Amino acid sequence: MVQPLSGQAIYVVLLRELKRYWRAKARIIASVAQSFFFLVIFGLGLGSFIGGFGGMNYLSYLGPGIIGMGLLFGSVFSGVSVIFDRQFGFMKEMLVAPVSRTSIILGKILGGAVTASIQGIILMTVAGLMGAFTPTPALAAGVLAAVGVMLLITAGFVGLGVTIGSALSDFHAFQLIATFVMWPLFMLSGVFFPIDMAPAPLQVAMLCDPMFYGVELLRWCLLGAGTPLLGPFGWLIALGVLAGFTAVMVGIGTYLFSRVQV
Amino acid sequence: MPVIEANNLTKRFGPLTAVDHVSFSVEEGEILGFLGPNGAGKTTTLNMLATLLRPTSGTATVNGHDILEESDAVRRSIGFVFQDPTLDIELTGHENLDFHGRLYGLKRDVRQQRIKEILKVVQLTDRADDLVKTYSGGMKRRLEIARGLLHYPKVLFLDEPTLGLDPQTRRAIWEHIQRLNQDENITIILTTHYTEEADYLCDRIQIIDFGKIVALDTPDKLKARLEGDIVSLVFKDSAAIPKIKPLLEKKGWVRRVDEVASDNNHAAMSRMMQAMRGMASGNMGGMMPSMSFGGAAGRSKIPKHMPQKIVQGIGGGNGENGRDGGQRRLNLLVDDGGHRIPEIVKLVDRTGAVLESVELHKPTLDDVFLSVTGRNIRDERGSFMETVRRYRIVREARGQHVRG
Repeated sequence: MVQPLSGQAIYVVLLRELKRYWRAKARIIASVAQSFFFLVIFGLGLGSFIGGFGGMNYLSYLGPGIIGMGLLFGSVFSGVSVIFDRQFGFMKEMLVAPVSRTSIILGKILGGAVTASIQGIILMTVAGLMGAFTPTPALAAGVLAAVGVMLLITAGFVGLGVTIGSALSDFHAFQLIATFVMWPLFMLSGVFFPIDMAPAPLQVAMLCDPMFYGVELLRWCLLGAGTPLLGPFGWLIALGVLAGFTAVMVGIGTYLFSRVQV
Repeated sequence: MPVIEANNLTKRFGPLTAVDHVSFSVEEGEILGFLGPNGAGKTTTLNMLATLLRPTSGTATVNGHDILEESDAVRRSIGFVFQDPTLDIELTGHENLDFHGRLYGLKRDVRQQRIKEILKVVQLTDRADDLVKTYSGGMKRRLEIARGLLHYPKVLFLDEPTLGLDPQTRRAIWEHIQRLNQDENITIILTTHYTEEADYLCDRIQIIDFGKIVALDTPDKLKARLEGDIVSLVFKDSAAIPKIKPLLEKKGWVRRVDEVASDNNHAAMSRMMQAMRGMASGNMGGMMPSMSFGGAAGRSKIPKHMPQKIVQGIGGGNGENGRDGGQRRLNLLVDDGGHRIPEIVKLVDRTGAVLESVELHKPTLDDVFLSVTGRNIRDERGSFMETVRRYRIVREARGQHVRG
């Protein structure tokens, strides 16, 4: 079922996502503020009690995880929004055009990845201003690498969102998705505590969470290669797992979207 | 060469044949209307022509391209204005058009030029940069039509273009459609269940009922089939009809006699819907004491004439709508109707029946629809169960098989 791709179509769907994102200022503010509260309240509050892990203060530890939270929620939501396109009819306008569904959904995934990553960059800046990351020459390169990691993470989770959105017929189940998919993915991603402090069963669950590898990579990028808090694997394996997850989710999302009923 | 040629197009959804071996052709520059009640198969036919739905059998060509083999070329040849709104209301009018232009691969300067032109045509130039969610219903409709034209399609499909719009807006949209057809020579296929819309706009009308084409001709020729005048007799009591009908049918100057359901169809329909809902939830109460459903009485088949009974039951039950009960109206097609009225009245008097009113009018498309289908286009009572069943199946199925 190979469908011809159209760069123009991918681009125009991406452009629409950007425009809509940019226009929904309230949504941007709300989600940045949510992450900001986590950073301040947990980072400073819980941090003053925990102190830190392995000589690193808690805010620095938390920073990449909270960026990950913004990426996760933003990208899954963006993927699930295919339900809205269907409910409000705009999907028909796209489907009657002389372009393949693959082009449309790749544009959608790319758009979701870019907008969620913009969110991540905003959070990275906020965390940086709060002093989460030590300004060194290496950090500049780390930040660039982190943006690449963000795009990879978000593409995968938009794919997950599209998969869910293609399988559901309306938006009523969204609360269930948030509770049973997004929150566990977030909490198990090692955002609050290092994996080696968790009991064994929890460790297994954390290793099954693709977001765990994403947060590990972000930490590696932003806190420096020498950070002692990396999980059992090195960055290369984490990158491999994440890339694999993203490839699979984009594949499944694209396939399901090509069969979706309008 | 015809712009569209359909050859035995057929679509089945499970047990239901929504479109049944439909063949027709459309010439360039023509406005063809599909006229028929809800669920007749109009939209299903359009969706097949637009390559959104794959026919079960049969095929068609649009602008010389086969709908099964060359769907991209077909899609490039058509503009489609859907029945339900398909605009992105979070974008401006201009952005909606721009999106469309890019999706159809128009180059930047061509796109800008055409958007400017088309906005002028639909008179939205000064609102182009406002978000679509601030537009009125008529403005949205005009924007959708503009969008459907942006890539200069050979054929424009309009699915119920004025559904739910107020009379003024409807008239304005009709004028737009005519202007587009005349000035730009765009071939237009529209579906409607408004006879006056079909009459006003279409060069030819194709009457569709239960998935079949039952008539295809110009509005004038369709109306000419009913040469003469329509004399409408409304009786005080439906019991008079069986007595009078044969007497009238014997007269040489009466061309045909049709029984017509009473006027208040929408009210009757909504009461039926309520009754159906009550039935579904098992909450029949005392509404229909004369009927029994379900397995208790060993009857799983729903009685054929339930709708009338429901109406009578309800009408009788609350006492105020009892007059909606039976068919109280007879339509006669009569030569020189005005001069025959005294004679008709005398005839009715002799039988002892009481006339409530007599009307005389020239045949309209409503009458034509009645004569070819045996039903009033807005009256869904005669085959109520069937209509609802079809409508539901088609609605559901329509969603399920859309091709990408």
